[in-house]
Amino acid sequence: MFLKNKNAMGRFEVSSQSDLLLASTRRRMLQSTALGFGYLALRSLLGNTLAMGQDPNHRSEGSLLGSNGPHLPARAKRIVFLFMKGGPSHIDTFDPKPLLTRDDGKPPPFELPRVVFAQQGNLLKSPWAFSKHGQSGLPVSELFPNVAKHIDKLCILRSLHGSNPAHGGALLKMHTGSDQFVRPSMGAWITYGLGTENQDLPAFVTICPTLAHGGVNNWGSAFLPTYCQGTPIGNASQPAKQASVQHIVHPKLDRASQRKQLDLLAKMNEDFSKTYPQEASIAGQLGAYELAFRMQSSLPEIQELHTETQATLRLYGLDDPVTENFGRQCLMARRFLERGVRFVQVTHSDSEVQWDQHSDLYQGHTKNAAEVDKPIAGFLADLEQRGLLKDTLVLWGGEFGRTPTSQGNGRDHNPHGFCMWMAGAGVKGGLAYGATDDYGYYATEKKMHVHDLHATILHIMGLDHERLTYRYAGRDFRLTDVAGQVAHEILA
Amino acid sequence: MHESLRRTLLLLMAWNCLGLLRSDAQQAEGLEYFETKVRPILVEHCYECHSGMERQGGLRLDHRKAIQKGGDSGPALDEDKPAESLLLRAVGYQNADLQMPPSGKLSDAQVAVLEKWVLSGAPDPRKDPSEDPSRGEAQFEEGKPTGMSIEQGQAFWSMRPLGTVAIPTPRQADWCRNPIDAFILHALESRGLSPSPQASGRELLRRLSMDLIGLPPDPREYGAFEQDVGPEAIDRQIDRLMSSPQYGVRYARHWLDVARYSDSNGLDENIAYGNAWRYRDYVVEAFNKDKPFDRFIEEQIAGDLLPDASLETRTATGYLVLGAKVLAEPDRDKLMMDTIDEQIDTIGKSFMGMTLGCARCHDHKFDPIKQRDYYALAAIFKGTKTFGDSNYGAIKHWNEISFSTDAEKANVKAVEAQIAEKNGAWTKLKNEAMSKLRQSVKQQAADYLAIASTLTSEATLNEWQSAGRELGLHPRVLANCRRYLDNHRQTPLFEKWHALADLGDFAGLGAHYRALFERVEHEWQKAKESDPQVKRLEDPELEAARIALSDAGGFLAIPAKMEHALDEASLKQIHELAEVARVFESSAADESSVMGVGDKGVVDGLPIHIRGSYRNLGGFVERGFPSVMLTSGSAPIFGRQSSGRLELARWLASPSHPLVARVIVNRVWRWHFGRGLVESTENFGVLGDRPSHPELLDYLARWFIESGWSIKELNRLILSSASYQMSSVHPEPESALASDPENRLRWYFAPRRMEAEQLRDSILYASGGLDLRLGGKSVPLRNRQFVFDHTSIDHTKYDSDRRTAYLPIIRNHLYSLLEQFDFPDPTMPVGSRNTSTVSLQMLVLINADWIVDSAHRLAQRSEEYSSEPPVRVDWLFEEVLGRQPEPYERQRLLDYVMGQPDASRARWEQVAHNLLVCSEFLYVP
Repeated sequence: MFLKNKNAMGRFEVSSQSDLLLASTRRRMLQSTALGFGYLALRSLLGNTLAMGQDPNHRSEGSLLGSNGPHLPARAKRIVFLFMKGGPSHIDTFDPKPLLTRDDGKPPPFELPRVVFAQQGNLLKSPWAFSKHGQSGLPVSELFPNVAKHIDKLCILRSLHGSNPAHGGALLKMHTGSDQFVRPSMGAWITYGLGTENQDLPAFVTICPTLAHGGVNNWGSAFLPTYCQGTPIGNASQPAKQASVQHIVHPKLDRASQRKQLDLLAKMNEDFSKTYPQEASIAGQLGAYELAFRMQSSLPEIQELHTETQATLRLYGLDDPVTENFGRQCLMARRFLERGVRFVQVTHSDSEVQWDQHSDLYQGHTKNAAEVDKPIAGFLADLEQRGLLKDTLVLWGGEFGRTPTSQGNGRDHNPHGFCMWMAGAGVKGGLAYGATDDYGYYATEKKMHVHDLHATILHIMGLDHERLTYRYAGRDFRLTDVAGQVAHEILA
Repeated sequence: MHESLRRTLLLLMAWNCLGLLRSDAQQAEGLEYFETKVRPILVEHCYECHSGMERQGGLRLDHRKAIQKGGDSGPALDEDKPAESLLLRAVGYQNADLQMPPSGKLSDAQVAVLEKWVLSGAPDPRKDPSEDPSRGEAQFEEGKPTGMSIEQGQAFWSMRPLGTVAIPTPRQADWCRNPIDAFILHALESRGLSPSPQASGRELLRRLSMDLIGLPPDPREYGAFEQDVGPEAIDRQIDRLMSSPQYGVRYARHWLDVARYSDSNGLDENIAYGNAWRYRDYVVEAFNKDKPFDRFIEEQIAGDLLPDASLETRTATGYLVLGAKVLAEPDRDKLMMDTIDEQIDTIGKSFMGMTLGCARCHDHKFDPIKQRDYYALAAIFKGTKTFGDSNYGAIKHWNEISFSTDAEKANVKAVEAQIAEKNGAWTKLKNEAMSKLRQSVKQQAADYLAIASTLTSEATLNEWQSAGRELGLHPRVLANCRRYLDNHRQTPLFEKWHALADLGDFAGLGAHYRALFERVEHEWQKAKESDPQVKRLEDPELEAARIALSDAGGFLAIPAKMEHALDEASLKQIHELAEVARVFESSAADESSVMGVGDKGVVDGLPIHIRGSYRNLGGFVERGFPSVMLTSGSAPIFGRQSSGRLELARWLASPSHPLVARVIVNRVWRWHFGRGLVESTENFGVLGDRPSHPELLDYLARWFIESGWSIKELNRLILSSASYQMSSVHPEPESALASDPENRLRWYFAPRRMEAEQLRDSILYASGGLDLRLGGKSVPLRNRQFVFDHTSIDHTKYDSDRRTAYLPIIRNHLYSLLEQFDFPDPTMPVGSRNTSTVSLQMLVLINADWIVDSAHRLAQRSEEYSSEPPVRVDWLFEEVLGRQPEPYERQRLLDYVMGQPDASRARWEQVAHNLLVCSEFLYVP
C-alpha cells in the first residue's frame, strides 16, 4: 500500500518500484483492507481483473467502484425494490384462484407442508374480485386499481418460493440469500459488482427499512468491503418526512463555519500524510472527509421535495394522508435513482408487521393496498415519463405470500408459493411467469426459488451470479450460494 | 404407482424367474426404447445439472455407470427393488425434499416412460467416458476438488506436530533482544533488508499504551518515560500497562471478537441476551489475572463439567450459547442442528483455525476434514443442552443457569406482576378508546352510508374529512366504508345503496338505512325479551343488516392501528402509559443467572446428514474428534456419563494438539502488529494464508505452552523484542519496498488507524470525559426483552461515558460508531479486524454529538488552563497529541482562533475538535 500522493484530493501516483508490489498486494488488500479513497485509487491504477475491469478516470470513492464493467450486457443500470414487509397475499392480488372461490370453506384437498408456522383452517376464498386489464388482459384484484393500469409494464412472477416460514428467516433469505448466516445483502453485492454513478452519494440506499427481522443484515455488507453496505434513510419507526441519514448535520455549526473548520483539518492532515507518504489510507482520509462534507448537502437535497411540481406531488399521492408516507418514499427513491444511486430499497412497513394479516385479511390488506397502490402507480408513470424506466428495474413484493387456508378471517405465512412482480428495464411486460397450484399453496410451474430470483436480478443488472464471487474465510461466496437459475423467459 | 406399472413389474419379475429377461432381441428393444423415449427426457430435463462437469448433488446422469453409482443420496437405481429407485422417487415428487426436476414435475407421460425404463432394468447404451479411449480417466474424475486425505493433511504445515525449532543466528546479532528478533532479522538479512531503527520514546509509549490498554498515554507519562533511561525503562512501561485493569478491558475485547460476543440474539428475532455481560466480565477478569489459556479453553467448552466447576466456570460456557440463532425457526429439529453447526463452526475457527462448518454437507472441499469428523463432533453437542425448556410464543429460549435466591425469585415474580399491570394499563385504555369509537360509528351507521355516497373511492382522506366534518364522522372509517361498498356490489343489503347512490339521492339513502337499522334494533330488542338466548333474527334482510352492523371487518370497520383510529389526546395518554411500562420493564430486575450449557446425556454418535439435511440420513458415526488432528494414540475415550465436551476441551487444551497453540499465538501476534504471521487468523487450512515466518510461529507456540499458556508472558516477549519496537518510518523505504512490498518480513512497524473502541475511548479520554470503571450490565434491557419487535424503534442508548467495551453490542443494529469503524460482525469469530476508510465514518467524526461535546469539554479545559492563546494551543497539543506544536502549527491555529474575535469560543472548540479527529491522533505510530 505504498503510494505517493500527488495532490490532496486523492489522486495518487505509484512510485516506480511499487508496481511490483501492487500486483501482489492486490488480492490481500481487496480482502482485508478496503481503504476507501486510497484503496480505490489504487485499484483503478492496478487496472486489475480481480472484480472486473474498470475505468481509471474516475476518482471519487463512489465512481471508482462504479467503474467496474458488468459481466454481461446490462439490461438495467439501477434497481429499486418496493418491499412490502409482512407478506402480501398473492391470491388476493395478482394470482387469482377460481377453485379457491369454488371450494371456499372446504378442507384443503392437498397435503400441508411438513412444517407450518401455525395451525391452519379450511380454504378461504379471496374477498376481492379480479378483472382483466390492459392489452395483456392479465388479472389484478380490486386491491390495486391504479397499479392495474400499468399491467402491460409488469412481469408477474407467480411461482416464487422460499424456504423459511417465519418473518425473520424469510426476510434474510429474500435480502441476503441466507436465513442461517450473516451474508452480504443483495444491494451490497450489486454495489460490489457495479458501484455507483454518483460521486456524492452512496451506491445503495434503503428508505425507512425495518429494524426487526434481520434489521441491518438486510442491507449490510457482511464480509464485503464496508463501502458496499446500504445507507439507511431513517427507519420504519419514523415517518418518511423525518427520515434522515445519521450524523448528516452538525449539531451546532452552519455550513460555512464547518467548511472553514474542515479546511483547517485538511491542512493538518496533509502535514501528517507527508510523514507517511507510503500509507494510502492516511492520504485517503482527506478525500473521505471531502466526500462526507459534500454528502451533507447532497443527501438532504434529495429529501427536499419543494422543487417538485404540484402535479408530481399529487401523482405520488402526497396530497392525501393515506398515501403521503409511502408516496414520499417513492418520490425520494426516484430522486436517488435519477442521481445515479444504483440500488434503492423502499420499505412499506410500520409499527405493525404491515402486510401480516393472520386475521382481518380484508381490512388489513385494504388499508395496506390503499397506502401503496397510488404511489406505486405514480412512481411507474413518473419513471416512464422521465425516461428512467427503460434502464431501471422495479421489483415489488414481500418476504413470502399467504396461505389459501384460513386462520380465522386471515391467512398464514406461505413461503411455498407466492408472487412478486418486476417492471421496467430488462423484463417483458404483460407477462405472467410460472404458476402456483389450483389453490395457490405451492409453486408448481417454472418454479422460481429466491436464489433464482437473485440470479435473474443480477443477470438483468449485467452480472453473472456465478462469477460475482468474493473470497472470504477460505471460500468463494456468492449471493446465490450454490444455486440459482436465471429465468431467461422473462427477459425482454 | 400406476396400476398398469405394478402389473408390468410383476410380469418382469416373473420373466426374470424364468430366465427370460434380456434376450438379445429384448435388449435391442430396450435400447431402442432408451434412445427414442428416455434419452430425450434426460437430455432435456436432467443434463443441465447432471452431466459432464455439472454434478449437482454429486450425480451425473449422462452415462450408465454414473447412474448406477448415483450421487450424494446414494445410487439412483435400485437393482433389487427397481420400483423404489431414487430416480423414480425424485421424478415422482413423492418426497418434499427430493423433487426433480426442481423447476417443476415432469408430465405424467414422461414419468411413466422413466418408470417403464427403470423397471425393465434400465437398459443404457451410453458408455462411461473412461471406456472411451479418446477421453482419459483423469478427465472423468476431474471436477470439483475433494479435499486432502487424512495422511496428506497430517503433513500439511499447520497440522504437523510442533517440533523443536533452532533459533537462527543472524549476522547483526547485537540488534536482537530476544529470540523473536533472531527469526525476524534472519529473514530480513536473507533478503538483503535491514530493519527500521528503534522507535522514538514518544512513538513507542503511544504504541504500547494504545496496544495494551487502548488509551493514549497521559501527557505526564511522556515526561516520566523520557527521564527513565535504558532498555529496562521500556520494560517498566510494559509492566505498568499490563498491570492496569484497563489491560483486561482491551485484551478481553480481542477475545470477545473471536467469541462473537453480543448482548442480543440478532438474526430473526432480536431479543436481549440480558446476562451476556457476565461472560464479558469473566473474560475481562481472565485476561487481567492471566488465566492460563489451556484452562481458559476448558472453562469455555466444559466449565460445567470440570471437577472444580463453579459459577465462574459455568459462566464461561456462555461462549457456547452466545451465537446468533434463528430462535423462531418453526422446525425445531432444524434449529437444533443449525445451532450445533454454529457451535462447531465457532470452535473450529476460534480454537483450531479450521472451517469445520464446511463439512456439514459433504467432506471439506479443500481441507482434510471429512463429513464423518463433523458428525462425530455434532454428536457431542447433540448431547449438550443449549436451549432451555421454555419459549415465548414461537421464540425458543436459550439455556441459562440460575443462581438466584428464593427471596430474589419472589421479588422477580412481583416485578413481573408489576410489568403486566403496567402493560395492562395502557392496553386497557386503548381497548376502551377503540371500543368507544366502534360504538359511536355504529350509532351513526346510516350517516356513514349516506356520506360515503357523496365521494368516490378515489377520494383523498382530506376530502373525506371535509365531507364528514358536519356529522362528526371519522374520515378513515368513511373512506373504508366507501371502498367496502364498491367491493361488495353483489351483497343484497347494499343493492339499495348502489341504486340510490347512482341516482345521487343521498338523503333518500340515509333515510332508507336509518329506518332499516332502527327496525333491526327494535326487532332485536323484542326478540331478546322473548328469548334472552336468541341468536338471530327471522327476517333475512334484518338479520343481514344486524350482522353487517356488528362485523368488525365490515362496512363500519375502524382502523386497526390506533394511531389511525384515535384522536391525539387519547393517543398521547396511551403512549405515555406505554412508555412508562417499557421504561419500567427495561430496568426491572431479572433473576440472577448466566448463559451457559448443561449436559443432556450421552449421544453415542450420529448418522451422517447427507447434504446437511437431518431428513436424509447416511451411515452412523461415533462421537469423536477430527481424525487429522489425532496424534498417534490419542483416539478419544469418552466417559459414559456425559456428552463428551470435557474430553473435547481437554483434547484441545493439550500440548499435543497441533493447531490450538499455533492459532492463539498467531492471534496475539496479530493483535500487537496489526497482522498475523498467518494473516488468515481463523483459517489455517489450505485456503488460508501460509505463515510468513513458520519457524517463528512454531517457536512461539512451543514457548507459549512451556510458559504455562500465559498470555501476559507472551505479550511481554513480543513487546520487548526489537522487532516490535521498530519505528514506523523506515529511512530507506524504496529499496525495502522493491524487495518486500507487503512488509511481510516486518522491516518496519506499520502505523494503524485506531479501532472503534480505541477511537471513542481515546477521544473521551483526551478530552477528560472517560469513565474507567469496569464490569456490570450495560445493555438497557431486561433479559429476553425485545430490542425492537415490530416497531423498529431501538431504545438502546449509547450516551454512557464508560469504555466502549461496555457499550451494548446489538446484533442487527450496531451502534453507528462501531458499525462504521469496522467493528466485526458479532455473529462470527474474527481475530483480525479490517480497516476501511469510507465517508460515512467522517460524518461520525465531524458531526457526532459526543465528539462535539468532547471538543467543547476540551476547549473549556484549555481555557481554564490559560487565557493566553499560545499557551492554550501548546496545552491542547500536549493533551491530545502528546507533543509541542511546530511554530508554524502553533501560528496556524492561532490565526484560526484569532481570525474572528466575536466567535472565538466556537473557534477554540473547532480547533479542539480537529485535534481529536485529525489523522495524527487517529493513527497509532
